[in-house]
Amino acid sequence: MSARTGARAAPLFGLPAVGIVALLLYLPFLWTTYVSFTSYDGLAAPEWAGPANYRAMFSDPDLLGALTNTLLWVVGMVTLPVVLGLLIAVLTYGHRWGTWLRLPFLLPYAISGVAVGVIWGFVLQPDGALGQALGFLGLPGAHTGWLQSGPGNTLMMIVAVTWQAAGVNALLFVVGLQSIPGEPLEAARLDGAEGFSLFRHQLWPQLRPITTVVVGLSIVGSLKTFDVVWVMTQGGPGTSSETLALSMYKETFVLNDYGQGAAIALFLSLVTFAASVLYLRYQLGESREQG
Amino acid sequence: MNRVKTAFLVVLGLLWLAPVYLLLVNASKAVDAYDAKAVWRPAGFALFGNFGDAWSKAALGDTLVATTLYSVVSPLLAVLVGAAIGYAIVVLRLRYGFAWFVFVFGGTIFPLQMVLMPLFTGYADTGLYDTRTGLVIVYTAISVPFAAFVMRNFFTGIARSVFEAAVVDGGSLLRIFRSIYLPMAGSALAAIFILQATFVWNDLLLGLTLSQSESVRPIMPALTGLQSTYGGAALPTVLAGGLLVSLPTVVLFLAAQRFFTRGLSLGQF
Repeated sequence: MSARTGARAAPLFGLPAVGIVALLLYLPFLWTTYVSFTSYDGLAAPEWAGPANYRAMFSDPDLLGALTNTLLWVVGMVTLPVVLGLLIAVLTYGHRWGTWLRLPFLLPYAISGVAVGVIWGFVLQPDGALGQALGFLGLPGAHTGWLQSGPGNTLMMIVAVTWQAAGVNALLFVVGLQSIPGEPLEAARLDGAEGFSLFRHQLWPQLRPITTVVVGLSIVGSLKTFDVVWVMTQGGPGTSSETLALSMYKETFVLNDYGQGAAIALFLSLVTFAASVLYLRYQLGESREQG
Repeated sequence: MNRVKTAFLVVLGLLWLAPVYLLLVNASKAVDAYDAKAVWRPAGFALFGNFGDAWSKAALGDTLVATTLYSVVSPLLAVLVGAAIGYAIVVLRLRYGFAWFVFVFGGTIFPLQMVLMPLFTGYADTGLYDTRTGLVIVYTAISVPFAAFVMRNFFTGIARSVFEAAVVDGGSLLRIFRSIYLPMAGSALAAIFILQATFVWNDLLLGLTLSQSESVRPIMPALTGLQSTYGGAALPTVLAGGLLVSLPTVVLFLAAQRFFTRGLSLGQF
């Protein structure tokens, strides 16, 4: 047997992966793309409709609301959990009990989105745990219906996901901190740099690569927000807390408007893809200029 | 300064644990003892009774069995399929290997929303809808790209001479794969398995779309169903259900934290 035999047998080993991915991911992807340009209820054959579904998406107030909420999710998720994660990482890094102090923040990460929704749905009930705590402390807002109207309900759900995501961001930032060489830091410390100044001039520039990863993951993840919203409000009341991912599901499987659902799915995919590409290019461009 | 830091972290940490505390305390209350106006105060310990209720009344038991099956079988299959293509590309030098790799890995770029509807109609047409086989297949497909990614990288780090020596020894390609390359990749395989098992266990969207009966439906969609059917009356049961389904992943996470960190920096999730 020779290396030639290897090359001849290679397709056999590659086939299962290529086959299953082609059949269950690419083929559906192409079909959704086609259906998004049709009128289709899942029963009769799809009828070509051109860009009608896309036009509807940008004129239907409910879908525009979902678009706004999705943007709110993106903005919320690239700020709250990222800033908190960075803060936790910087404060615990090098701390004698760092690992233990980080643990409370990591625990929620191991919980599923559905369980997070169940827990926070309970915490945010009208006059529930949060209301009772505020009342006990004599703070205002004890009787707020946290999930009863938009955009407040979306903001509270962003808080819930921040609770879940901050710890894992902290963990990633710790990985980033670990990769920073120690000597320049020590030198800066000896020069009298400390606290925020040390962070700004020594740590932050070196954390750029990992920040790129964290922010990138947050953007991609938040565009697809579904689980927590589905559990906590199902997008309601009305459509006040719907995200695009949720609208896609509802249009398709509740309203049987497959074409509209497909258009939302494709739009969501393109935005996700464009955001990742633009973001990566921007970040790479910046670091090239710096380097 | 250090004391301020520690105090701040402790306070923030306690704030973070408050929802966990509320979950534990209220999941432990007997349904009769639960008082919606006093959720912060513990009242009795009926956690195992509530687990039992969630298990039998809400039929979480059936779905737990099904979900365990998906979370073990699919990642195992994905790991093997991913390792096979990694082996084909790196070791056997599959022609256009890199293009095939990009093709397989590209399967994860787009959101799940893009494949849901065709999977639903396709499954309905082929009789795979609401079957355990159907779910095993779809979870495997979702897990393959990441497995291929990790395994290709892993095999790239193994010296070519290993393969050449094995060929000289007269092993067949399948045998070399099975008894030399797979065992060497133990830790990478374990990392993929753990990450994908967690993903499958926590999945809501695919389960919601592709199943309906209690014996097929995975645990997360079942839990959302439990919440809406029972409403406020049996909140302790719902919370106990939430706790029950979280235990496996929490234990796994604490036991294998470093795998999670590694997977994350590779861009999974």
